[in-house]
Amino acid sequence: MEYNLIVNREKKSAEAMVSGQAMKISTGSAFYDVSFESISNHQILLNVNGKHFNAFFLNGGDEKTIIINGRSYEVKDADQIDQDTRMEKSFATAATTVSSPMPAVVTDILVKVDDRVVKGQGLIIVSAMKMETTLTAPFEGRVSRINAKISDKVMPTEILVDIEQPKESI
Amino acid sequence: MFQKILVANRGEIALRVIHTCRNMGIKTVAVYSDADDKAAHVILADEAIYLGASEPSSSYLNMAGIIAGAKKTGAQAIHPGYGFLSENHRFAQYCHDEGIVFIGPGVEAIKNLGDKITSRNIMIAGGVPVIPGLSCCQKDMAVFEEIAWKIGYPILVKATAGGGGKGIRIVNSPDEMKAALASASREALKAFGNGDVYIEKFFPKARHIEFQILADKYGNTIHLFERECSIQRRHQKIIEETPSLVLGQELREKMGMAAVKAAKASGYENAGTVEFLLDENINFYFLEINTRLQVEHPITEMTTGIDLVRKQIEIAEGKVLDLKQEDIKPKGHAIECRIYAEDPEKGFSPCPGKIRFMKEPSGPGIRNDSGVYQGFEIPVEYDPILSKLVVHAETRNQAISKMIMALQDYIILGVKTPIEFMIDVLSSRPFRDAEVFTDFIETHFSAWKPCRDMTDVAMIAFIADEVWRQNANSHLTAQSDEAASPWTTLGNWKI
Repeated sequence: MEYNLIVNREKKSAEAMVSGQAMKISTGSAFYDVSFESISNHQILLNVNGKHFNAFFLNGGDEKTIIINGRSYEVKDADQIDQDTRMEKSFATAATTVSSPMPAVVTDILVKVDDRVVKGQGLIIVSAMKMETTLTAPFEGRVSRINAKISDKVMPTEILVDIEQPKESI
Repeated sequence: MFQKILVANRGEIALRVIHTCRNMGIKTVAVYSDADDKAAHVILADEAIYLGASEPSSSYLNMAGIIAGAKKTGAQAIHPGYGFLSENHRFAQYCHDEGIVFIGPGVEAIKNLGDKITSRNIMIAGGVPVIPGLSCCQKDMAVFEEIAWKIGYPILVKATAGGGGKGIRIVNSPDEMKAALASASREALKAFGNGDVYIEKFFPKARHIEFQILADKYGNTIHLFERECSIQRRHQKIIEETPSLVLGQELREKMGMAAVKAAKASGYENAGTVEFLLDENINFYFLEINTRLQVEHPITEMTTGIDLVRKQIEIAEGKVLDLKQEDIKPKGHAIECRIYAEDPEKGFSPCPGKIRFMKEPSGPGIRNDSGVYQGFEIPVEYDPILSKLVVHAETRNQAISKMIMALQDYIILGVKTPIEFMIDVLSSRPFRDAEVFTDFIETHFSAWKPCRDMTDVAMIAFIADEVWRQNANSHLTAQSDEAASPWTTLGNWKI
């Protein structure tokens, strides 16, 4: 599988062939024979070309903070970032949809189909990392469809509530 | 003998004091605020008294609340730690009036030594060398100018009250004097409610060397040798060591004697620290006495083998100091690194947050005085110190190597720390050569960037973690060791 990563702002590409707990990784200029064992959510033991490393992880959204030998590295998936920026762009041009800003669980739905809502009115409450966020109506209108129910896992790409704008304002 | 002590502090120092109390069989009472209701010191103590809201004024500076807590729990003494009420003579008096022992020096000593002019004059009278300068408050420009001309520029304008780098100005030439006096006075008035200023000679290239002292109620006073504390950022120490490489045996003895003299001159009792400035020509001058336990006291404990908190408690109980000067024989070399929740890449700005993962270093001669744990939310209201990492080894070089390894082995995720910065400071040539002056960080590390050269290994680690997570998710058995991110707990996404 191909990986396009950004390590501390430096772009890096690698081809990885995975088989169980072992990988062969090629960057084009370097080749690595890797075996790994996960100790916990935060720690992986690595053997890279015969050398041992202890890597510690903090997963934060699309970015991982990785500590190796006391040094900290921020590593992101460049492909994921491309998607995200494209998404942000589409959001910027049409900030008219109701979506969760992060992967989350729906904890409450404050409206029902056919309700009239005003701009800024709370529609849905989602929860992620114990933090609750109320998603609000981007404009005035009528709720035409609700695409989620309580306890649903939702992603930023999903539109959770459709709102029909009143005809006169279009 | 005390049966119960209330510790009027929080974080690592509260834990440090509680540990010794437990060793001595003394029960402990913690105090806490809203932000600290799950703090480590509250969990460790035998009892805990809630003081109030998170702001220090409602909690750790709440004198009446703390005294009431001591009375309610039957604590006979209060240990103030450092910071908060530790150098507040009114609090010491309050304890005294209420029949509670304040573990620290007497009210008069705290009061006198808290005022820079008073303490300066006590030292002059006691024959302790002070920095050339004025020894009284002045408003007359002509006097300032005359003194400055006598001692030579550059000159330091200092507020008589307070500290923390406030009310201080450097004056390089006579024409800057008037403006510097005015602005220092304004700043001091605003910060301390007292605009009095004085002047003394400024030493651009200086070292900060301090001596630990112990004094009982019966006039027995000894010193426990020096600590070199020149590595500072924002006027705050971050790395300390003992012994200092620049002190020869003769100078060490001379300064030690001066420290004892300073303590005696001020009628000092309990543990304290006499701070000296050492100029480029290895002349030393009295700076101040800190009337409390210092943050960096563990390095002295490591080399002397003496538990300073135990000594503080014994002295406060009225015991005769059972140590003579000749009993103090320091061994080896000790270094302390202060681990703060702060970002060295952003001017050491504080970085509160939740500790997501923490692994402390261990091994022979490694001590970590910590006040936090994995999962703890570091409050924004208080000092960002997380822990003090201390190592002890036979030689300075061995201690440096041990500290670097301990730092590499110290993992804190969730908040930023200066661990990488410290690895680079300790590895640097000037540090290894003991070329340490108070301007060390500005001179050598102002444009510091971490050396992160294992980017390929980081990339491999990322891929390994991704692969493992995919496998774990497909089995849905990810052993979650915390309320992890939605990426691990929410399973597969419908996209």
